[in-house]
Amino acid sequence: MATRSVHNKWSWMLLVILAAALLVFGSTRTSGPQTQSDRIDAITKVLACPTCQGESVYVSRASAAESIRAEVARQVASGQKTDDEIIAYIEARFGSRVLLVPRSTGLDAMIWVLPVFVLICATGTLVFAFRRWRVETTDQVSEEDAQLVERALREK
Amino acid sequence: MYAASGINGALGRALLLVGIIASLFGAIAAISSARQRDQAVAKLIPRFAILVFAAGLGAFAVMERAMITRDFSLAYVQKVGSVSTPALFNFAAVWSALEGSLLMWVLLLAGYTLAVTFWLRKKMDDVLSRYALGVMFIVNLFFFVLSFGPANPFVAGPAGVFDGPGPNPLLQNHLLVMFHPPMLYLGYVGMTVPFAFAIAALITGRVGEGWLLATRRWTLFAWGFLTFGIVLGSWWSYEVLGWSGVWAWDPVENASLLPWITATAYIHSVLVQERRGMLRVWNLSLLVATFSLTILGTFLTRSGVLNSVHAFSQSAIGPWLLAFFAVIVVVSVALIGWRGDRLHSPGSIDSIMSREGAFLANNVLFSVFAFVVLLGTVFPLVVEALQSRTIVVGEPFFDRLTIPIGITMLTIMAIAPVLPWRKASQELLSKRLFWPAWCGVIALAVSVWVGATGLAPLLTFGLGGFAAGSALRQVVLATRRQGIRGLVGRANGGMIVHLGVIIISVALAASNSFTHSQELNLEVGKVATFSGHTFELVDVIEEKTDRATAVKALVKVDGGKAYAPAITKFTKQGMNVGTPSVKTGLGNDIYLTLEPPVRQDENKARIKVFIKPLLLWLWIGGGLMALGTVLAAFPGRRRKPTSPTSEDDFAADLLVMQ
Repeated sequence: MATRSVHNKWSWMLLVILAAALLVFGSTRTSGPQTQSDRIDAITKVLACPTCQGESVYVSRASAAESIRAEVARQVASGQKTDDEIIAYIEARFGSRVLLVPRSTGLDAMIWVLPVFVLICATGTLVFAFRRWRVETTDQVSEEDAQLVERALREK
Repeated sequence: MYAASGINGALGRALLLVGIIASLFGAIAAISSARQRDQAVAKLIPRFAILVFAAGLGAFAVMERAMITRDFSLAYVQKVGSVSTPALFNFAAVWSALEGSLLMWVLLLAGYTLAVTFWLRKKMDDVLSRYALGVMFIVNLFFFVLSFGPANPFVAGPAGVFDGPGPNPLLQNHLLVMFHPPMLYLGYVGMTVPFAFAIAALITGRVGEGWLLATRRWTLFAWGFLTFGIVLGSWWSYEVLGWSGVWAWDPVENASLLPWITATAYIHSVLVQERRGMLRVWNLSLLVATFSLTILGTFLTRSGVLNSVHAFSQSAIGPWLLAFFAVIVVVSVALIGWRGDRLHSPGSIDSIMSREGAFLANNVLFSVFAFVVLLGTVFPLVVEALQSRTIVVGEPFFDRLTIPIGITMLTIMAIAPVLPWRKASQELLSKRLFWPAWCGVIALAVSVWVGATGLAPLLTFGLGGFAAGSALRQVVLATRRQGIRGLVGRANGGMIVHLGVIIISVALAASNSFTHSQELNLEVGKVATFSGHTFELVDVIEEKTDRATAVKALVKVDGGKAYAPAITKFTKQGMNVGTPSVKTGLGNDIYLTLEPPVRQDENKARIKVFIKPLLLWLWIGGGLMALGTVLAAFPGRRRKPTSPTSEDDFAADLLVMQ
């Protein structure tokens, strides 16, 4: 086989190293300049519009959202606070219900914990199933199945 | 003081009553003939199916007639009808509120029932067919009762009303409102068919693979419609809502995503059952979950417990839907428990590095995905019930959890298509994955070169290239072997669907991560620039119709065509609706919105510009998914059922490769 030499260990290693290098380089360099508007978008995406249930300030066109957006825009334009500080400021002014990211304390923490729990359970079940299958390969063939195989082989 | 409703009200109510009676008798005929093997009664089933469909179609037609003739004696027409609504949007106004959309559900369900009856016309001797139709008639009965009782669109309204507000303004400024809801509903309602067959298989005890193969195509089509409906909904959101996004993790969007996730899991895991006879309970559970999630989603979003842009006003159907959901779950679980002994399947899965192992991993991931979406959707309800305070769970939560899930899915999509059944040797993997993996590295290099940053987007681009390589490998090998027929069939069509999914993932990652926006204060005659594009205000115009006043800013982009983002004030609702205008391109979309306050000053306009990379590819990917679904539905080449492994294919692949 002429092509076999291409798929050897070395070319795979080269591939992995190249991919890792590209990922490290690409994910650590700074992204291009943010406009003020980009900053406003990023901040308003994690703020909830207080009057329209479920929508973020970024999405909503309601007047309450417009006024929060205007406040965020003022803060960004003044250029003195970081994004997190602006979010904290808005929370202090409008109350914690404008935060769109669930907190990680108290009952709210369950929303972060439960998915991880379910993932662990599901993976655990799968591992358990594989272990059981490995033990269970006794290959008992039922009468019905044997006939089926026989018939199929005859037809072949 | 209520006026006697006219002919439309009486006729509509009568037709719904006919539907109830026909569904009831259809269910009785189907189930009793199945229990007593009575051929004479079984012959009646098709007649009841025709009657049910006639009633559903008739009721829908009467509603359309009432809407088109502006019959304001009906409360529903008073709610969503208006003298000034243009004809097309008036036609679509029928499904723009709760009662009418339920009527559409009824129509489609009755249509599916008739189609399944026609499809089974020569298999009516089979008890399983009769039970399946019996289940369908029962679901019909429920929806006809719902439509006749708590959500009746034919109720008379107060007298002396000669005009109404018309549908929600958001539902009358884009043509997609004609297509998005019917497509989505075709998907939702279509999930009733495999569910009915699953229940029938459990009742008859014939839980083998026969019924599965029979309903495969029904499931696939329902899934295809659901997919297409969701994509159209995203498109509508993008073109109409003016925040430049396609998906807001709104409860109603989540409600449509949930059955899609479980149905997608089913479409994959069912292959393990067809091939190996395993996972019977799991597959039945997925079908039951899919159907019950369509009901739960309707409950969550149509009963007023959750609010969203899609939610209609509060209504009495909540308890009905919740009760129906509970019945479905209890009955299905009881049946699965009752047939537990027959559901146990022999055989085992030897290795995770096999086709069936990959399908299992896929299912674990899809289950977690479904759980995350469900949890995020209902969590505010839980918090409110337990601690009586309101919290909002929005995009940041869903993004944080679903992006890792999506990236893991892309990884599985990259590896799984090359895996043979039973087990794969390391050498085989190294050989088959080699070129797809290089596709991934090239995709990664190109993304880094064009300036992409951030770990999650780069992983998406790299793994997307890898997965696309694997999908293309399958399609290329199949077409080399079989010519054009290598594009059809489940495996090959499925790979085209995969390509669509990959394109969508890449487009989502790019447009979510690398969108830039800027507000521009434009003046006529002055050219503003942003991100390498020029924007020139040509004029600000006002267009008045009798239903709305639109202010449009004509903006020349890059010196070419003028785009016209607008703000429309709908006179009757007193509501301002912004309408974006998009310059579409293969590389970037330029998305323009006119920002309030709307000034009458004719020489100035405040415009917000979003530059959204690769967004067009979302719709291309959606189209490819639809195409792949159609191709997958065609019968492909079947390997001999007696060949024990897919090593035969492997040998054929090798022959082609050399």
